[in-house]
Amino acid sequence: MKLNHYSTLGMALMLSIGLIFSGCSTTKHHAKLDKHGSAPVVKKAEPTPAPTPEVVIAEPAHQIYFAYDSSELDPSAAAILDANTEWLSANPGKSIVIEGNCDERGSREYNLALGQERADSVKAHLEARGVTGIETVSFGEEKAACEGTGEACWAQNRRADIVIR
Amino acid sequence: MKKLVLLGLCLLTSSVQAAQFDVYMTKYKPLKLAWIIGSDPKLETQRAIVHDVTEKDLTSSQSFRSMDPLSFLSNTSDIFRRVVYSDWRVIGTDILSVARLRKTSHGWEASVAVHDAVRSQLLAQTRLKIEGPEVRRLSHLIANFIYKTALGVPGHFDTHILYVRKHGKLSDLVYIEQDGAKRQNVGRNFNLLLSPDWSPNNQIVALNTYVGNRPRLETFELTTGKRHVFGQFSGLNSTPEWSPNGQFIAAALSHTGNSELHLYNVKTKKWRQLTHHWAIDTTPTWSPDGSMIAFTSNRSGKPQIHRIFLKDGSVKQISVNGTYNTTPAWSPRGDRIAFITRKKWQYALATMRADDGSDVRYLVTGGRIESPSWSPNAQMLLFSRESHGLRRVYRTPSWGGKAEAITPANEDASDPSWSH
Repeated sequence: MKLNHYSTLGMALMLSIGLIFSGCSTTKHHAKLDKHGSAPVVKKAEPTPAPTPEVVIAEPAHQIYFAYDSSELDPSAAAILDANTEWLSANPGKSIVIEGNCDERGSREYNLALGQERADSVKAHLEARGVTGIETVSFGEEKAACEGTGEACWAQNRRADIVIR
Repeated sequence: MKKLVLLGLCLLTSSVQAAQFDVYMTKYKPLKLAWIIGSDPKLETQRAIVHDVTEKDLTSSQSFRSMDPLSFLSNTSDIFRRVVYSDWRVIGTDILSVARLRKTSHGWEASVAVHDAVRSQLLAQTRLKIEGPEVRRLSHLIANFIYKTALGVPGHFDTHILYVRKHGKLSDLVYIEQDGAKRQNVGRNFNLLLSPDWSPNNQIVALNTYVGNRPRLETFELTTGKRHVFGQFSGLNSTPEWSPNGQFIAAALSHTGNSELHLYNVKTKKWRQLTHHWAIDTTPTWSPDGSMIAFTSNRSGKPQIHRIFLKDGSVKQISVNGTYNTTPAWSPRGDRIAFITRKKWQYALATMRADDGSDVRYLVTGGRIESPSWSPNAQMLLFSRESHGLRRVYRTPSWGGKAEAITPANEDASDPSWSH
Protein backbone atom coordinates (compact mmCIF):
# COMPACT_ATOMS: atom_id res chain seq x y z
CA MET A 1 0.00 0.00 0.00
CA LYS A 2 2.96 2.27 0.59
CA LEU A 3 3.73 1.89 -3.10
CA ASN A 4 0.33 3.29 -3.91
CA HIS A 5 1.02 6.22 -1.70
CA TYR A 6 4.27 6.97 -3.50
CA SER A 7 2.91 6.27 -6.95
CA THR A 8 0.09 8.75 -6.36
CA LEU A 9 2.59 11.37 -5.29
CA GLY A 10 4.79 10.57 -8.26
CA MET A 11 1.95 10.90 -10.70
CA ALA A 12 0.94 14.25 -9.23
CA LEU A 13 4.55 15.46 -9.56
CA MET A 14 4.87 14.32 -13.18
CA LEU A 15 1.55 15.91 -14.03
CA SER A 16 2.62 19.28 -12.63
CA ILE A 17 6.00 19.15 -14.43
CA GLY A 18 4.16 18.30 -17.62
CA LEU A 19 1.86 21.27 -17.17
CA ILE A 20 4.81 23.65 -16.65
CA PHE A 21 6.51 22.45 -19.87
CA SER A 22 3.35 22.62 -21.94
CA GLY A 23 2.80 26.18 -20.66
CA CYS A 24 6.28 27.22 -21.94
CA SER A 25 5.87 25.71 -25.41
CA THR A 26 2.52 27.41 -25.89
CA THR A 27 4.18 30.80 -25.40
CA LYS A 28 6.94 30.00 -27.97
CA HIS A 29 4.40 28.78 -30.47
CA HIS A 30 2.52 32.10 -30.31
CA ALA A 31 5.80 34.02 -30.87
CA LYS A 32 6.57 32.09 -34.10
CA LEU A 33 3.16 32.81 -35.51
CA ASP A 34 4.01 36.48 -36.07
CA LYS A 35 4.25 36.26 -39.90
CA HIS A 36 4.96 39.93 -40.59
CA GLY A 37 8.40 39.85 -39.17
CA SER A 38 7.68 42.90 -37.15
CA ALA A 39 8.90 43.02 -33.79
CA PRO A 40 6.48 41.21 -31.74
CA VAL A 41 4.34 43.46 -29.74
CA VAL A 42 4.52 42.38 -26.30
CA LYS A 43 1.04 42.53 -25.09
CA LYS A 44 0.45 42.86 -21.51
CA ALA A 45 -0.70 39.42 -20.59
CA GLU A 46 -4.13 39.32 -19.14
CA PRO A 47 -4.11 37.67 -15.81
CA THR A 48 -5.43 34.15 -16.29
CA PRO A 49 -7.82 33.08 -13.59
CA ALA A 50 -6.19 30.74 -11.09
CA PRO A 51 -7.39 27.17 -11.67
CA THR A 52 -9.78 25.85 -9.06
CA PRO A 53 -7.52 23.72 -6.90
CA GLU A 54 -8.50 20.05 -7.19
CA VAL A 55 -8.11 18.31 -3.86
CA VAL A 56 -6.21 15.10 -4.37
CA ILE A 57 -5.50 13.25 -1.15
CA ALA A 58 -2.76 10.74 -1.48
CA GLU A 59 -3.75 7.28 -0.26
CA PRO A 60 -2.29 6.86 3.19
CA ALA A 61 -0.53 3.88 4.68
CA HIS A 62 -3.00 1.29 5.93
CA GLN A 63 -0.88 -0.49 8.54
CA ILE A 64 -1.09 0.31 12.22
CA TYR A 65 1.60 -1.12 14.50
CA PHE A 66 1.33 -2.00 18.19
CA ALA A 67 3.50 -2.65 21.22
CA TYR A 68 3.78 -6.19 22.60
CA ASP A 69 0.58 -7.50 24.26
CA SER A 70 -1.09 -4.14 23.63
CA SER A 71 -3.95 -2.83 21.53
CA GLU A 72 -3.36 0.82 22.40
CA LEU A 73 -2.96 3.31 19.57
CA ASP A 74 0.14 5.44 19.91
CA PRO A 75 0.37 8.99 18.40
CA SER A 76 1.89 7.74 15.13
CA ALA A 77 -0.94 5.20 14.80
CA ALA A 78 -3.48 7.94 15.45
CA ALA A 79 -1.86 10.10 12.76
CA ILE A 80 -2.08 7.27 10.22
CA LEU A 81 -5.71 6.65 11.19
CA ASP A 82 -6.56 10.34 10.79
CA ALA A 83 -5.01 10.28 7.31
CA ASN A 84 -7.14 7.22 6.57
CA THR A 85 -10.26 8.98 7.85
CA GLU A 86 -9.58 11.91 5.54
CA TRP A 87 -8.90 9.64 2.58
CA LEU A 88 -12.01 7.55 3.23
CA SER A 89 -14.24 10.63 3.44
CA ALA A 90 -12.84 11.72 0.06
CA ASN A 91 -13.34 8.22 -1.34
CA PRO A 92 -16.73 7.14 -0.07
CA GLY A 93 -18.50 3.86 -0.79
CA LYS A 94 -15.57 1.57 0.00
CA SER A 95 -15.86 -1.60 2.00
CA ILE A 96 -13.49 -1.58 4.95
CA VAL A 97 -12.18 -4.62 6.82
CA ILE A 98 -9.69 -4.26 9.65
CA GLU A 99 -7.51 -7.32 10.14
CA GLY A 100 -5.82 -7.72 13.53
CA ASN A 101 -2.54 -9.63 13.79
CA CYS A 102 -0.02 -10.55 16.48
CA ASP A 103 3.56 -11.68 16.73
CA GLU A 104 4.21 -15.35 17.42
CA ARG A 105 5.03 -14.98 21.10
CA GLY A 106 2.40 -16.03 23.59
CA SER A 107 -0.60 -18.27 23.35
CA ARG A 108 -2.25 -18.61 19.95
CA GLU A 109 -5.76 -18.44 21.35
CA TYR A 110 -4.96 -15.40 23.49
CA ASN A 111 -3.34 -13.83 20.44
CA LEU A 112 -6.55 -14.36 18.46
CA ALA A 113 -8.37 -12.28 21.09
CA LEU A 114 -5.56 -9.72 21.16
CA GLY A 115 -5.65 -9.38 17.36
CA GLN A 116 -9.39 -8.79 17.59
CA GLU A 117 -8.84 -6.14 20.26
CA ARG A 118 -6.34 -4.40 17.95
CA ALA A 119 -8.79 -4.48 15.05
CA ASP A 120 -11.55 -3.20 17.35
CA SER A 121 -9.48 -0.32 18.68
CA VAL A 122 -8.72 0.79 15.10
CA LYS A 123 -12.42 0.46 14.25
CA ALA A 124 -13.44 2.52 17.30
CA HIS A 125 -10.99 5.27 16.37
CA LEU A 126 -12.29 5.47 12.81
CA GLU A 127 -15.95 5.28 13.84
CA ALA A 128 -15.47 8.10 16.34
CA ARG A 129 -14.43 10.18 13.32
CA GLY A 130 -17.50 9.29 11.31
CA VAL A 131 -16.31 6.33 9.24
CA THR A 132 -19.05 3.72 8.96
CA GLY A 133 -19.47 0.19 7.60
CA ILE A 134 -16.30 -1.23 9.14
CA GLU A 135 -15.87 -4.97 9.67
CA THR A 136 -13.15 -6.57 11.75
CA VAL A 137 -11.39 -9.94 11.77
CA SER A 138 -8.52 -11.36 13.80
CA PHE A 139 -5.96 -13.80 12.48
CA GLY A 140 -3.97 -13.80 15.71
CA GLU A 141 -0.50 -15.05 14.82
CA GLU A 142 -1.75 -17.23 11.95
CA LYS A 143 -0.96 -14.83 9.10
CA ALA A 144 2.46 -13.49 9.88
CA ALA A 145 3.71 -10.82 7.44
CA CYS A 146 7.26 -11.66 8.45
CA GLU A 147 8.05 -15.33 9.00
CA GLY A 148 10.94 -15.37 11.39
CA THR A 149 12.03 -14.46 14.86
CA GLY A 150 13.53 -11.34 16.37
CA GLU A 151 12.04 -7.96 17.17
CA ALA A 152 12.46 -6.62 13.62
CA CYS A 153 10.15 -9.37 12.43
CA TRP A 154 7.79 -9.42 15.40
CA ALA A 155 7.23 -5.66 15.18
CA GLN A 156 5.92 -6.09 11.63
CA ASN A 157 3.52 -8.77 12.79
CA ARG A 158 1.97 -6.77 15.66
CA ARG A 159 -0.27 -4.97 13.27
CA ALA A 160 -3.74 -4.09 12.11
CA ASP A 161 -4.29 -3.82 8.35
CA ILE A 162 -7.00 -1.55 7.00
CA VAL A 163 -8.13 -3.44 3.91
CA ILE A 164 -10.16 -1.20 1.57
CA ARG A 165 -11.96 -2.50 -1.49
CA MET B 1 19.94 -49.04 31.67
CA LYS B 2 20.79 -47.45 35.00
CA LYS B 3 23.66 -45.65 33.32
CA LEU B 4 21.25 -44.31 30.72
CA VAL B 5 18.85 -43.08 33.39
CA LEU B 6 21.73 -41.42 35.26
CA LEU B 7 22.95 -39.79 32.09
CA GLY B 8 19.40 -38.58 31.39
CA LEU B 9 19.14 -37.14 34.89
CA CYS B 10 22.48 -35.35 34.53
CA LEU B 11 21.43 -33.85 31.19
CA LEU B 12 18.09 -32.79 32.62
CA THR B 13 19.70 -31.26 35.70
CA SER B 14 22.22 -29.30 33.65
CA SER B 15 19.55 -27.94 31.31
CA VAL B 16 17.34 -26.99 34.23
CA GLN B 17 20.05 -24.83 35.78
CA ALA B 18 20.01 -22.42 32.84
CA ALA B 19 16.24 -22.39 32.55
CA GLN B 20 13.62 -20.20 34.19
CA PHE B 21 11.71 -23.18 35.50
CA ASP B 22 12.57 -25.87 38.03
CA VAL B 23 11.13 -28.88 36.26
CA TYR B 24 9.14 -31.05 38.64
CA MET B 25 10.84 -34.39 39.25
CA THR B 26 8.63 -37.21 40.41
CA LYS B 27 9.75 -39.60 43.12
CA TYR B 28 7.61 -42.30 41.54
CA LYS B 29 9.50 -45.41 40.47
CA PRO B 30 7.91 -47.29 37.58
CA LEU B 31 6.67 -50.79 38.43
CA LYS B 32 8.81 -53.57 36.96
CA LEU B 33 6.52 -55.55 34.75
CA ALA B 34 7.03 -59.10 33.50
CA TRP B 35 4.62 -59.56 30.61
CA ILE B 36 4.04 -62.92 28.95
CA ILE B 37 1.46 -63.83 26.35
CA GLY B 38 1.11 -67.25 24.75
CA SER B 39 -0.95 -68.66 21.90
CA ASP B 40 -1.29 -71.52 19.47
CA PRO B 41 1.86 -71.42 17.24
CA LYS B 42 -0.40 -70.72 14.21
CA LEU B 43 -1.31 -67.37 15.76
CA GLU B 44 2.29 -66.27 16.33
CA THR B 45 2.01 -63.10 14.16
CA GLN B 46 -1.02 -61.84 16.08
CA ARG B 47 0.46 -62.92 19.42
CA ALA B 48 3.58 -60.86 18.72
CA ILE B 49 1.45 -57.82 17.80
CA VAL B 50 -0.58 -58.08 21.02
CA HIS B 51 2.58 -58.57 23.07
CA ASP B 52 4.35 -55.56 21.60
CA VAL B 53 1.41 -53.13 21.51
CA THR B 54 0.42 -53.94 25.11
CA GLU B 55 4.01 -53.56 26.27
CA LYS B 56 4.40 -50.26 24.42
CA ASP B 57 1.14 -48.94 25.89
CA LEU B 58 2.17 -49.74 29.45
CA THR B 59 5.74 -48.47 29.20
CA SER B 60 4.64 -45.29 27.38
CA SER B 61 2.59 -44.41 30.47
CA GLN B 62 5.91 -44.30 32.37
CA SER B 63 4.12 -46.10 35.22
CA PHE B 64 5.72 -49.41 34.20
CA ARG B 65 9.12 -50.58 33.10
CA SER B 66 9.09 -53.72 30.99
CA MET B 67 11.49 -56.48 32.10
CA ASP B 68 13.72 -58.28 29.63
CA PRO B 69 12.39 -61.84 29.04
CA LEU B 70 16.01 -63.07 29.08
CA SER B 71 16.06 -62.33 32.80
CA PHE B 72 13.08 -64.60 33.51
CA LEU B 73 13.97 -67.65 35.61
CA SER B 74 10.66 -69.45 35.28
CA ASN B 75 9.92 -71.59 32.30
CA THR B 76 7.26 -69.51 30.58
CA SER B 77 5.56 -72.53 29.04
CA ASP B 78 4.90 -73.65 32.60
CA ILE B 79 3.54 -70.32 33.74
CA PHE B 80 0.04 -70.98 32.51
CA ARG B 81 -0.26 -73.83 35.01
CA ARG B 82 1.38 -72.33 38.10
CA VAL B 83 3.29 -69.24 39.21
CA VAL B 84 6.36 -69.59 41.43
CA TYR B 85 6.37 -66.11 42.95
CA SER B 86 9.88 -66.43 44.41
CA ASP B 87 11.30 -66.86 40.89
CA TRP B 88 9.82 -63.48 39.97
CA ARG B 89 10.64 -61.71 43.22
CA VAL B 90 14.30 -62.66 43.00
CA ILE B 91 14.70 -60.89 39.65
CA GLY B 92 12.92 -57.79 40.99
CA THR B 93 9.50 -58.18 39.41
CA ASP B 94 6.72 -56.03 40.85
CA ILE B 95 3.87 -57.06 38.56
CA LEU B 96 3.62 -60.26 36.55
CA SER B 97 0.96 -60.49 33.88
CA VAL B 98 0.24 -63.66 31.97
CA ALA B 99 -2.17 -63.94 29.07
CA ARG B 100 -3.31 -66.38 26.43
CA LEU B 101 -4.57 -65.31 22.99
CA ARG B 102 -7.25 -67.29 21.15
CA LYS B 103 -9.13 -66.91 17.90
CA THR B 104 -12.92 -67.00 18.24
CA SER B 105 -15.55 -67.47 15.54
CA HIS B 106 -16.09 -63.67 15.30
CA GLY B 107 -12.80 -62.22 16.48
CA TRP B 108 -10.26 -62.54 19.28
CA GLU B 109 -10.18 -63.37 22.95
CA ALA B 110 -7.52 -63.10 25.66
CA SER B 111 -7.60 -64.49 29.16
CA VAL B 112 -5.40 -62.27 31.33
CA ALA B 113 -4.12 -62.66 34.86
CA VAL B 114 -2.27 -60.01 36.89
CA HIS B 115 -0.09 -61.08 39.83
CA ASP B 116 1.57 -59.08 42.57
CA ALA B 117 4.99 -60.74 42.71
CA VAL B 118 6.00 -58.89 45.88
CA ARG B 119 2.95 -60.02 47.88
CA SER B 120 2.73 -63.40 46.08
CA GLN B 121 -0.89 -63.04 45.09
CA LEU B 122 -3.16 -63.10 42.10
CA LEU B 123 -4.64 -59.60 41.90
CA ALA B 124 -7.25 -60.16 39.17
CA GLN B 125 -8.02 -62.16 36.07
CA THR B 126 -10.45 -61.66 33.23
CA ARG B 127 -11.42 -62.66 29.72
CA LEU B 128 -11.40 -59.88 27.11
CA LYS B 129 -13.03 -60.16 23.68
CA ILE B 130 -13.18 -58.12 20.51
CA GLU B 131 -15.00 -58.71 17.24
CA GLY B 132 -13.48 -58.45 13.78
CA PRO B 133 -10.26 -59.65 12.18
CA GLU B 134 -7.97 -57.03 13.67
CA VAL B 135 -6.24 -57.87 16.91
CA ARG B 136 -4.68 -54.50 17.76
CA ARG B 137 -7.52 -53.10 19.86
CA LEU B 138 -7.41 -56.18 22.10
CA SER B 139 -3.89 -55.10 23.12
CA HIS B 140 -5.25 -51.74 24.35
CA LEU B 141 -7.95 -53.53 26.38
CA ILE B 142 -5.33 -55.83 27.94
CA ALA B 143 -3.13 -52.83 28.77
CA ASN B 144 -6.16 -51.11 30.37
CA PHE B 145 -6.80 -54.21 32.51
CA ILE B 146 -3.20 -54.57 33.70
CA TYR B 147 -2.95 -50.81 34.39
CA LYS B 148 -6.21 -50.68 36.38
CA THR B 149 -5.35 -53.82 38.35
CA ALA B 150 -1.84 -52.69 39.25
CA LEU B 151 -2.52 -48.97 39.84
CA GLY B 152 -6.20 -48.71 40.68
CA VAL B 153 -6.69 -46.08 37.96
CA PRO B 154 -8.49 -46.75 34.65
CA GLY B 155 -6.14 -47.07 31.68
CA HIS B 156 -6.14 -44.55 28.81
CA PHE B 157 -5.04 -46.96 26.10
CA ASP B 158 -8.30 -47.53 24.21
CA THR B 159 -8.64 -43.83 23.35
CA HIS B 160 -7.96 -41.50 20.41
CA ILE B 161 -6.28 -38.21 19.74
CA LEU B 162 -7.15 -35.50 17.23
CA TYR B 163 -4.66 -32.92 16.07
CA VAL B 164 -4.26 -30.35 13.31
CA ARG B 165 -1.74 -30.94 10.55
CA LYS B 166 -0.88 -27.79 8.63
CA HIS B 167 0.47 -28.08 5.10
CA GLY B 168 1.08 -24.80 3.31
CA LYS B 169 -1.90 -22.61 4.05
CA LEU B 170 -4.32 -25.48 4.57
CA SER B 171 -4.96 -27.70 7.54
CA ASP B 172 -6.22 -31.26 8.03
CA LEU B 173 -7.88 -32.80 11.06
CA VAL B 174 -5.94 -35.98 11.88
CA TYR B 175 -7.29 -38.88 13.99
CA ILE B 176 -4.92 -41.38 15.61
CA GLU B 177 -4.99 -44.03 18.30
CA GLN B 178 -3.42 -42.74 21.52
CA ASP B 179 -0.14 -44.46 20.62
CA GLY B 180 0.04 -42.68 17.26
CA ALA B 181 -1.08 -45.68 15.21
CA LYS B 182 -3.83 -45.96 12.59
CA ARG B 183 -3.65 -42.37 11.48
CA GLN B 184 -6.52 -41.03 9.38
CA ASN B 185 -7.12 -37.61 7.84
CA VAL B 186 -10.74 -37.21 8.88
CA GLY B 187 -11.12 -33.60 7.69
CA ARG B 188 -9.15 -32.13 4.83
CA ASN B 189 -8.05 -28.72 3.58
CA PHE B 190 -9.52 -26.38 6.15
CA ASN B 191 -8.53 -22.76 5.66
CA LEU B 192 -7.13 -22.43 9.19
CA LEU B 193 -8.29 -24.93 11.77
CA LEU B 194 -7.97 -24.17 15.46
CA SER B 195 -8.94 -25.59 18.85
CA PRO B 196 -10.72 -28.87 17.99
CA ASP B 197 -12.55 -30.31 21.01
CA TRP B 198 -14.27 -33.71 21.37
CA SER B 199 -17.89 -33.95 22.48
CA PRO B 200 -18.29 -36.07 25.64
CA ASN B 201 -19.57 -39.02 23.53
CA ASN B 202 -16.53 -38.75 21.20
CA GLN B 203 -18.77 -38.48 18.11
CA ILE B 204 -18.65 -34.76 17.29
CA VAL B 205 -15.81 -32.27 17.26
CA ALA B 206 -16.33 -28.55 17.88
CA LEU B 207 -13.77 -26.43 16.04
CA ASN B 208 -12.85 -22.95 14.87
CA THR B 209 -12.20 -22.49 11.16
CA TYR B 210 -12.14 -19.61 8.67
CA VAL B 211 -14.21 -19.42 5.51
CA GLY B 212 -13.62 -16.50 3.17
CA ASN B 213 -11.36 -14.92 5.80
CA ARG B 214 -14.20 -15.00 8.34
CA PRO B 215 -13.87 -17.06 11.51
CA ARG B 216 -16.67 -19.40 12.45
CA LEU B 217 -17.46 -22.15 14.91
CA GLU B 218 -18.49 -25.50 13.50
CA THR B 219 -19.35 -28.97 14.66
CA PHE B 220 -17.80 -31.80 12.68
CA GLU B 221 -19.26 -35.32 12.82
CA LEU B 222 -16.39 -37.80 12.90
CA THR B 223 -18.20 -40.71 11.28
CA THR B 224 -19.91 -38.78 8.46
CA GLY B 225 -17.69 -35.72 8.06
CA LYS B 226 -20.83 -33.57 8.19
CA ARG B 227 -20.12 -29.93 9.14
CA HIS B 228 -22.57 -27.57 10.82
CA VAL B 229 -22.00 -23.87 11.59
CA PHE B 230 -23.14 -22.85 15.07
CA GLY B 231 -21.29 -19.56 15.57
CA GLN B 232 -20.72 -16.94 12.89
CA PHE B 233 -20.81 -13.55 14.58
CA SER B 234 -18.96 -10.40 13.61
CA GLY B 235 -15.46 -10.37 15.08
CA LEU B 236 -14.05 -13.23 17.12
CA ASN B 237 -15.55 -16.75 17.06
CA SER B 238 -13.02 -18.91 18.88
CA THR B 239 -11.98 -21.59 21.39
CA PRO B 240 -15.08 -23.85 21.53
CA GLU B 241 -15.22 -26.22 24.52
CA TRP B 242 -17.93 -28.81 25.22
CA SER B 243 -19.49 -28.97 28.67
CA PRO B 244 -19.02 -32.35 30.41
CA ASN B 245 -22.73 -33.19 29.93
CA GLY B 246 -22.65 -32.26 26.23
CA GLN B 247 -25.48 -29.72 26.57
CA PHE B 248 -23.39 -26.57 26.08
CA ILE B 249 -20.39 -25.34 24.16
CA ALA B 250 -18.50 -22.45 25.74
CA ALA B 251 -16.60 -20.15 23.36
CA ALA B 252 -15.01 -16.70 23.12
CA LEU B 253 -16.99 -14.22 20.95
CA SER B 254 -16.44 -10.48 20.53
CA HIS B 255 -19.63 -9.27 18.82
CA THR B 256 -20.90 -7.75 22.07
CA GLY B 257 -17.96 -5.33 22.17
CA ASN B 258 -14.89 -7.32 23.21
CA SER B 259 -13.74 -10.89 23.74
CA GLU B 260 -16.17 -12.44 26.25
CA LEU B 261 -17.14 -16.01 27.13
CA HIS B 262 -20.53 -17.11 25.80
CA LEU B 263 -22.46 -20.37 26.17
CA TYR B 264 -24.16 -22.11 23.27
CA ASN B 265 -27.08 -24.36 24.20
CA VAL B 266 -26.81 -27.34 21.85
CA LYS B 267 -30.52 -28.20 22.18
CA THR B 268 -32.14 -24.74 21.87
CA LYS B 269 -29.33 -23.43 19.60
CA LYS B 270 -29.30 -20.18 21.59
CA TRP B 271 -26.29 -18.28 22.90
CA ARG B 272 -26.01 -16.43 26.19
CA GLN B 273 -23.21 -14.18 27.38
CA LEU B 274 -21.33 -15.47 30.41
CA THR B 275 -18.63 -12.90 31.24
CA HIS B 276 -19.02 -9.11 31.16
CA HIS B 277 -15.69 -7.33 31.37
CA TRP B 278 -13.77 -4.87 29.20
CA ALA B 279 -10.70 -7.18 29.28
CA ILE B 280 -9.94 -10.18 27.07
CA ASP B 281 -11.69 -13.36 28.25
CA THR B 282 -10.88 -16.50 26.23
CA THR B 283 -9.97 -20.25 26.26
CA PRO B 284 -12.76 -21.62 28.48
CA THR B 285 -12.35 -25.05 30.11
CA TRP B 286 -15.04 -26.74 32.21
CA SER B 287 -14.63 -28.25 35.65
CA PRO B 288 -15.58 -31.95 35.40
CA ASP B 289 -18.76 -31.38 37.45
CA GLY B 290 -19.80 -28.58 35.07
CA SER B 291 -20.20 -26.02 37.87
CA MET B 292 -17.28 -23.77 36.91
CA ILE B 293 -15.32 -22.62 33.88
CA ALA B 294 -11.67 -21.64 34.06
CA PHE B 295 -10.44 -19.20 31.40
CA THR B 296 -7.67 -16.78 30.43
CA SER B 297 -8.32 -13.12 31.19
CA ASN B 298 -6.11 -10.04 31.25
CA ARG B 299 -8.49 -8.19 33.57
CA SER B 300 -5.67 -7.78 36.08
CA GLY B 301 -3.45 -6.25 33.38
CA LYS B 302 -1.68 -9.43 32.29
CA PRO B 303 -3.09 -12.73 31.10
CA GLN B 304 -3.90 -14.95 34.09
CA ILE B 305 -6.12 -17.98 34.71
CA HIS B 306 -9.47 -17.15 36.31
CA ARG B 307 -12.57 -19.18 37.03
CA ILE B 308 -16.24 -18.31 37.00
CA PHE B 309 -18.99 -20.03 39.00
CA LEU B 310 -21.87 -20.61 36.62
CA LYS B 311 -24.41 -20.40 39.46
CA ASP B 312 -23.75 -16.79 40.43
CA GLY B 313 -21.29 -15.50 37.83
CA SER B 314 -18.64 -14.71 40.45
CA VAL B 315 -15.06 -14.66 39.13
CA LYS B 316 -11.85 -15.44 40.98
CA GLN B 317 -8.24 -15.32 39.77
CA ILE B 318 -6.53 -18.69 40.21
CA SER B 319 -2.98 -18.36 38.84
CA VAL B 320 -0.77 -16.28 41.08
CA ASN B 321 2.78 -16.95 39.89
CA GLY B 322 4.28 -15.07 36.95
CA THR B 323 2.84 -12.52 34.55
CA TYR B 324 1.79 -14.64 31.58
CA ASN B 325 -0.41 -17.67 32.23
CA THR B 326 -2.75 -18.87 29.51
CA THR B 327 -4.67 -21.77 27.95
CA PRO B 328 -6.05 -23.60 30.99
CA ALA B 329 -7.17 -27.24 30.71
CA TRP B 330 -9.11 -28.57 33.69
CA SER B 331 -8.09 -32.08 34.74
CA PRO B 332 -10.85 -34.71 34.36
CA ARG B 333 -10.25 -35.50 38.05
CA GLY B 334 -11.01 -31.88 38.91
CA ASP B 335 -8.17 -31.26 41.34
CA ARG B 336 -5.66 -29.55 39.03
CA ILE B 337 -5.53 -27.24 36.03
CA ALA B 338 -2.85 -27.54 33.35
CA PHE B 339 -1.79 -24.31 31.65
CA ILE B 340 0.99 -22.65 29.68
CA THR B 341 3.20 -20.22 31.51
CA ARG B 342 5.97 -17.96 30.33
CA LYS B 343 8.91 -16.35 32.11
CA LYS B 344 11.48 -14.23 30.28
CA TRP B 345 10.37 -15.66 26.93
CA GLN B 346 10.68 -19.25 28.05
CA TYR B 347 7.55 -21.34 28.02
CA ALA B 348 6.52 -24.23 30.23
CA LEU B 349 3.68 -26.67 30.54
CA ALA B 350 2.60 -26.53 34.17
CA THR B 351 -0.16 -27.69 36.48
CA MET B 352 -1.52 -26.05 39.62
CA ARG B 353 -4.24 -26.73 42.17
CA ALA B 354 -7.61 -25.79 40.72
CA ASP B 355 -8.91 -24.16 43.91
CA ASP B 356 -6.17 -21.66 44.72
CA GLY B 357 -3.43 -21.92 42.07
CA SER B 358 -0.90 -23.23 44.59
CA ASP B 359 1.52 -26.18 44.20
CA VAL B 360 2.63 -25.20 40.67
CA ARG B 361 4.53 -28.00 38.92
CA TYR B 362 6.50 -27.17 35.80
CA LEU B 363 6.41 -30.36 33.73
CA VAL B 364 8.04 -29.50 30.43
CA THR B 365 10.00 -26.52 29.18
CA GLY B 366 11.90 -25.54 26.01
CA GLY B 367 10.51 -24.38 22.66
CA ARG B 368 7.12 -22.79 22.20
CA ILE B 369 4.75 -24.98 24.17
CA GLU B 370 1.00 -24.76 23.58
CA SER B 371 -2.41 -26.45 23.81
CA PRO B 372 -2.43 -28.77 26.84
CA SER B 373 -4.99 -31.60 26.74
CA TRP B 374 -5.56 -34.28 29.41
CA SER B 375 -5.98 -38.00 28.94
CA PRO B 376 -9.40 -39.06 30.24
CA ASN B 377 -7.83 -40.70 33.32
CA ALA B 378 -5.86 -37.48 34.08
CA GLN B 379 -2.55 -39.37 34.08
CA MET B 380 -1.09 -37.95 30.86
CA LEU B 381 -0.98 -34.58 29.12
CA LEU B 382 -0.67 -33.78 25.45
CA PHE B 383 0.84 -30.54 24.21
CA SER B 384 2.48 -29.13 21.09
CA ARG B 385 6.00 -27.79 20.96
CA GLU B 386 7.53 -25.71 18.18
CA SER B 387 11.15 -25.72 17.34
CA HIS B 388 12.73 -24.55 14.08
CA GLY B 389 9.35 -23.56 12.68
CA LEU B 390 7.72 -26.99 12.98
CA ARG B 391 5.37 -28.10 15.73
CA ARG B 392 5.08 -31.64 17.09
CA VAL B 393 2.59 -33.19 19.48
CA TYR B 394 4.07 -34.71 22.64
CA ARG B 395 2.73 -36.54 25.65
CA THR B 396 4.06 -36.54 29.18
CA PRO B 397 2.85 -37.92 32.51
CA SER B 398 0.88 -35.27 34.41
CA TRP B 399 2.76 -36.27 37.56
CA GLY B 400 6.19 -35.57 36.07
CA GLY B 401 8.24 -37.55 33.60
CA LYS B 402 9.76 -37.31 30.18
CA ALA B 403 8.04 -35.93 27.09
CA GLU B 404 7.67 -38.22 24.10
CA ALA B 405 6.73 -37.08 20.56
CA ILE B 406 3.77 -38.88 19.03
CA THR B 407 3.68 -37.13 15.63
CA PRO B 408 6.33 -37.38 12.90
CA ALA B 409 9.25 -34.93 12.87
CA ASN B 410 8.56 -33.83 9.29
CA GLU B 411 5.00 -32.52 9.67
CA ASP B 412 3.56 -29.48 11.39
CA ALA B 413 1.24 -30.81 14.10
CA SER B 414 -0.65 -28.71 16.65
CA ASP B 415 -3.86 -28.37 18.69
CA PRO B 416 -3.94 -31.90 20.14
CA SER B 417 -7.14 -33.02 21.83
CA TRP B 418 -7.51 -36.30 23.73
CA SER B 419 -10.83 -38.19 23.49
CA HIS B 420 -12.93 -38.83 26.60
